[in-house]
Amino acid sequence: MTPDTPGSHARDVSPKPAYPPGEAIERTFTDEQLAWTRDEQARIDVFKAQYPTADGAVMKTLWLAQRKLGWLPPEAVQHVATTLGLPYAKVYGVATFYTQYFKKEVGKVVLDVCTCFTCQVCGGYDILHHIEKRLGVKKGETTADGMFTVQEAECLGACGSAPMLQVTNGPYVHNLTTEKVDVLLDALRAGNPVPFESVTLPQDQDELGGNRRTDAAAVTGSLVPPVSETIH
Amino acid sequence: MPDTPSLLTGQSKAGDWRSYERVILPPIKDLHQIAVYEANGGYGALRAVVADGKFDRTGLTNEVKASGLRGRGGAGFSTGMKWSFMPPVDPEKPRYLCCNGDESEPGTFKDRQIFEYNPHLMIEGIVLACYAMTIKTCYLYIRGEYDDYITHVQRAVDEAYAKGYLGKNILGADFSTDLVVHAGAGAYICGEETSLMESIEGKRAYPRVKPPFPAQVGVFGMPTTINNVETLADVPIIVNRGAAWFAGIGPKTHPGPVLYGVSGHVNRPGVYEYPVGMSIADLLEVAGGARGGKKIKAVVPGGSSTPPLTWDVAATATMDADTLREAGSSMGTAGLCFLDEDTDMVSFTRRIAHFYHHESCGQCTPCREGTGWVEKLLTRIDEGDGHTRDLDLLLDLCDQMEGRTVCALADAAAWPVRWGIKRFRGEFEAKCKPTSFAGADLSGDGAGHVLDPVITPGGTP
Ligand SMILES: Cc1cc2nc3c(=O)[nH]c(=O)nc-3n(C[C@H](O)[C@H](O)[C@H](O)COP(=O)(O)O)c2cc1C
Ligand code: SF4
Ligand code: FES
Repeated sequence: MTPDTPGSHARDVSPKPAYPPGEAIERTFTDEQLAWTRDEQARIDVFKAQYPTADGAVMKTLWLAQRKLGWLPPEAVQHVATTLGLPYAKVYGVATFYTQYFKKEVGKVVLDVCTCFTCQVCGGYDILHHIEKRLGVKKGETTADGMFTVQEAECLGACGSAPMLQVTNGPYVHNLTTEKVDVLLDALRAGNPVPFESVTLPQDQDELGGNRRTDAAAVTGSLVPPVSETIH
Repeated sequence: MPDTPSLLTGQSKAGDWRSYERVILPPIKDLHQIAVYEANGGYGALRAVVADGKFDRTGLTNEVKASGLRGRGGAGFSTGMKWSFMPPVDPEKPRYLCCNGDESEPGTFKDRQIFEYNPHLMIEGIVLACYAMTIKTCYLYIRGEYDDYITHVQRAVDEAYAKGYLGKNILGADFSTDLVVHAGAGAYICGEETSLMESIEGKRAYPRVKPPFPAQVGVFGMPTTINNVETLADVPIIVNRGAAWFAGIGPKTHPGPVLYGVSGHVNRPGVYEYPVGMSIADLLEVAGGARGGKKIKAVVPGGSSTPPLTWDVAATATMDADTLREAGSSMGTAGLCFLDEDTDMVSFTRRIAHFYHHESCGQCTPCREGTGWVEKLLTRIDEGDGHTRDLDLLLDLCDQMEGRTVCALADAAAWPVRWGIKRFRGEFEAKCKPTSFAGADLSGDGAGHVLDPVITPGGTP
């Protein structure tokens, strides 16, 4: 499918958008790569049915595109817009409002290290700096081999098991220590999946003798993490 | 207040909390599985109401009103009252329920435990709320970062559909409701109710000006009620045990069980379920006390936007709206962060300021610019380049942010700074250079400006 970009009048737009529609943009993905599979198309049809307007399905379709492609270059945004019959600008506007949509190419693995306040006072910056040192990059950067992108994240809603990080908008890794980070990085480099960790409620420890779920690996929130209050 | 006795007595208002039995997260293994949930009386409240007629629609709203349940999402508004604001049913107009599982307030992680450990309780509550307000569609908004939990909740929703607790003619009654899980994509502001609606509509999630209120013009322009996940999870409990039971737990003005998210410098952080009105000191005790035998210096009682309390005050306070108001903070989301004596309050406040700067949607000038300047000023103080005069400048900035914006994010950003400075001023001053007006470079950028402008405008902080 050829992206249905608006005409050359877009050149008159000022200031110039980051992804100028209508210009021959450098493309990362071919039409074949962009095209939805039958299964994906069926899912998009479900998304559309879930909302009274076509706009409603935008966020879910962007998620689908990002899961498929890894990030959202202009042609992917255009593809979503075409699929839903919406203007490019509208979909682009949504994609840029939310931080989890990647508008720039990222590494195969994105590490979102939480340094928000609870994680901060429980050593979140120690973890971040340890990862930066191990990978030889600064936050916001991607390793030269394209494997890891390191980012500083805002509170991820797991403050009871701080410090923690999230792997590529997916699994949480709780109660980090530098040793646990080293093991994680090696596992990720080897291409191993990150197991889901179920954080045990302290009251369950007392009343149920451990985690309440029998179908997930458990971690407890009562490890003593390193303490650091620096933010630099 | 000379004639009302102080609530800051240090006495717990949670009654006999040591023998409290959990109801939101009862100690039952694998309760997230629908079979286990049903075997333990799950969906019984829904059956009693929808199939057996325990309450009619208004009766259910009145029961919730009588229970005294107040929203657990931060504002603490009476849930029954909110439900009764919905206009009379108009067959031409669809009506919506939005369940707010955005949970992005730093220090808050309680809804996640409901998603993981007892999702069916929330689903049952959602269906009951839809019944009470004659609503056919509920959007359950879950923050995008909770990817694993979204999958998990979606599975529970599918199970509930398969069993006839959701969908057409629920339990054979003339009542149908759909539940759509909507994933966010990383924006704190989507927790604000009008922003949440914009996000569900698939737009840039700029909060709306109120009025009109969501009950009149909500999501897709239709009457809408927004409730927090935990609030809705309380509804089946109220139906099962009765409004009187619920109202009898904790303080009269703010009753019920609540999930306390305890984090920071404690030995056993995590979510604890207890009655509202627990004393902060008791919560510290159940959480295993301060780590490494240190002294606690400060407590943030309900998420990042609630002003921090010094330990002296916190030790006399309990976790309920009235007491915390008197203490100079608020209940927020009941996510307590304990900070020990080694914590640098300046760095801490700076990190909070960074959060709000990052998360401001940019729609209102006082918020967009204010959060930036606050962060910039706190950064230079934290890095040792600040002047005592900057503290007053910060307080002045807070004045200009509070109450002047579309949503409450600007207030939420100003409060921790204002009260952080007021309550820990010594620490802030210790990091500042004393203000000298004699030709000093107060701009902090080393460019040699004298006095004014204190900060050169322009450029993004
Ligand atoms: C900036 C901001 C962020 C908010 N974030 C959340 C949130 O993450 N979760 C939530 O339930 N309520 C949040 N709220 C409160 C909601 O606007 C709303 O009051 C609440 O969801 C209503 O539910 P309740 O009555 O059950 O508490 C937020 C409010 C503001 C101003
Ligand atoms: S107060 Fe801030 S977050 Fe709220 S609408 Fe205004 S700019 Fe956006
Ligand atoms: S502060 Fe890191 S998860 Fe909440």
